[in-house]
Amino acid sequence: MRAVASGEIKGTGAATARRAGEKYVPWMLLAPTMIIMTLVGFFPLVHSLYISMTSYRPTEIDKPQGFVGLENYVRAFSDPLFGHSLLLTGLFTGLSVGLSLVLAVLLAALFNLRLPGFVAMRTIVLVPMLITPIAVGITWRIMMMPDLGVLNFLLAMLGIPPQPWANSATSALMAMVLVDVWQWTPFMFIIIFAGLRALPRSPFEAAAIDGAGPIRTFYSVTLPMLRPVIVVAVLLRVIDAIRTYDTVYIITRGGPDFASDLVSVYLQRANFKFFDLGYGAAISWLTLIAILAIVLIFVRLTGFMKLLADKEGR
Amino acid sequence: MRSSLRPGLKPVSILYWLMALAATAFFLFPIYWMASSSLKSDLDVGTYPPVWLFTPSLHSYEQLFKEMGALDALWNSCFIVGISTCLAMMAGTLAAYALARFDVSGKNVLAFEVLSIRMLPPIVSVIPLFIIAKQLGIFDTPWLLIACYTLSGLPFVVWVMRVFIQEIPQSIEEAALIDGCSHFQAFWRITLPLLLPGLAATMVIVFMFAWNEFLLASILTSREAKTLPVIAANAIKPKAISFGLASAAGVLMSLPVVVLVLMMQRYLVRGLTLGAVKG
Repeated sequence: MRAVASGEIKGTGAATARRAGEKYVPWMLLAPTMIIMTLVGFFPLVHSLYISMTSYRPTEIDKPQGFVGLENYVRAFSDPLFGHSLLLTGLFTGLSVGLSLVLAVLLAALFNLRLPGFVAMRTIVLVPMLITPIAVGITWRIMMMPDLGVLNFLLAMLGIPPQPWANSATSALMAMVLVDVWQWTPFMFIIIFAGLRALPRSPFEAAAIDGAGPIRTFYSVTLPMLRPVIVVAVLLRVIDAIRTYDTVYIITRGGPDFASDLVSVYLQRANFKFFDLGYGAAISWLTLIAILAIVLIFVRLTGFMKLLADKEGR
Repeated sequence: MRSSLRPGLKPVSILYWLMALAATAFFLFPIYWMASSSLKSDLDVGTYPPVWLFTPSLHSYEQLFKEMGALDALWNSCFIVGISTCLAMMAGTLAAYALARFDVSGKNVLAFEVLSIRMLPPIVSVIPLFIIAKQLGIFDTPWLLIACYTLSGLPFVVWVMRVFIQEIPQSIEEAALIDGCSHFQAFWRITLPLLLPGLAATMVIVFMFAWNEFLLASILTSREAKTLPVIAANAIKPKAISFGLASAAGVLMSLPVVVLVLMMQRYLVRGLTLGAVKG
């Protein structure tokens, strides 16, 4: 029973599973995961789809609570604050991921030089991504206070007039981008740095022989070879940046004047301030669809799934 | 590019070194500011211009435990995150083993489903979870958050552990089978020891995500099951802010993650990129 046809072993895991009596083993192994995913993941999702088609308001029992079809979805399209928050989230995600990508690539190239002390500095640079986002929000809120904050003190030392940071409608979103870039550039940096370390040497030597300078080499050799790694880093970052909630909640709560009202903050407010849960579920679903669409387009354009699937090539 | 710039005495190296120092200062300064604010006394913390030299005081930490109920929150955080991390690791590793070693029909669909949970914004399932929990009477108990964190950790574990398991050649297990081990023994004695570094790295990352989570924890608890991030957020009022207290809470909740992850630094990239990039 334990004998294995030798032709089938070679590296493949799948073929060996055909041993007698083992048909059900993989399903037994998968069962706990599938049960958890169905009960805690899939079921609430379907339930929320149903809620989104009702006018469920647990705090106002005297109003009708029944089935209203697609009314909530129609209402969402004429809700200016919802559209506004989606646009802001797009802007925030684009700016934040773009800036941290540029910074991370530059940092990776810099730290690849192996000067003395660089290993320790590299470790220090990683720390922001490990700080609890709530703590990041607290710290930056304290630092960015217009009259008491240390940032304006440091700017004054450099002779720059004090900035309002998150306290003005014109700069609040940029302040949030700054916080996000500070926290998540390290994430992109270690991924890109690891990718840079793993590159083969010979293309660089060839470029050097052909007389390419460092900048030319960087654009024509390093960046194209890093592309798969950059795609992975950007995709993971985009998925998380769209969901940004904690830091904005702590620093601005979406204000002032809705200037930093990202979609997750808006959804939270719509749901749990007014308890208009039917409408809240509908806009949550619209957000989910928007995110999935963006991610799928990105995955299609860059072949992300293929990157992951390649790891299976055995 | 790599070989052309050796550590040397070239002036350009000094320029690069200064740039690296500036970048390090940018990323380090807010952390320094959080840690130093948490150690300042009430007098020193809210003054302008800021105080740079001060006598450290543990006053804020004392207040945190005495008045904010940080001990309960710390226990809740440990209990909830500990149990959900273990559950996610166990269920996820079993599933990953099935996906890596057996020919399951519809395997890629399954894998994609698993991955898509990673992309779901938690806010979408928060409303039904809130309603269901109220009906079942598990609102504001640790079990609700344990279920949520187990779910959000699972896809990650399945995906990353699958990559780690695939890297261990199946032939080693088969050799053990031929030598008379049972399947379980082969996994337990041969594969599992080789998997340990991967398991530890994955576990640390799952721990980090659950430990830092705030949105679900703030909505699905009210008094009894509050975790550390919820307590810390309470130190902030819309208009006023208790500097020292909030900073101390920040240090307290960030420290475990920083220590754990820096210990596992070698495997970090692998785990964070779902196995796509080797660290």
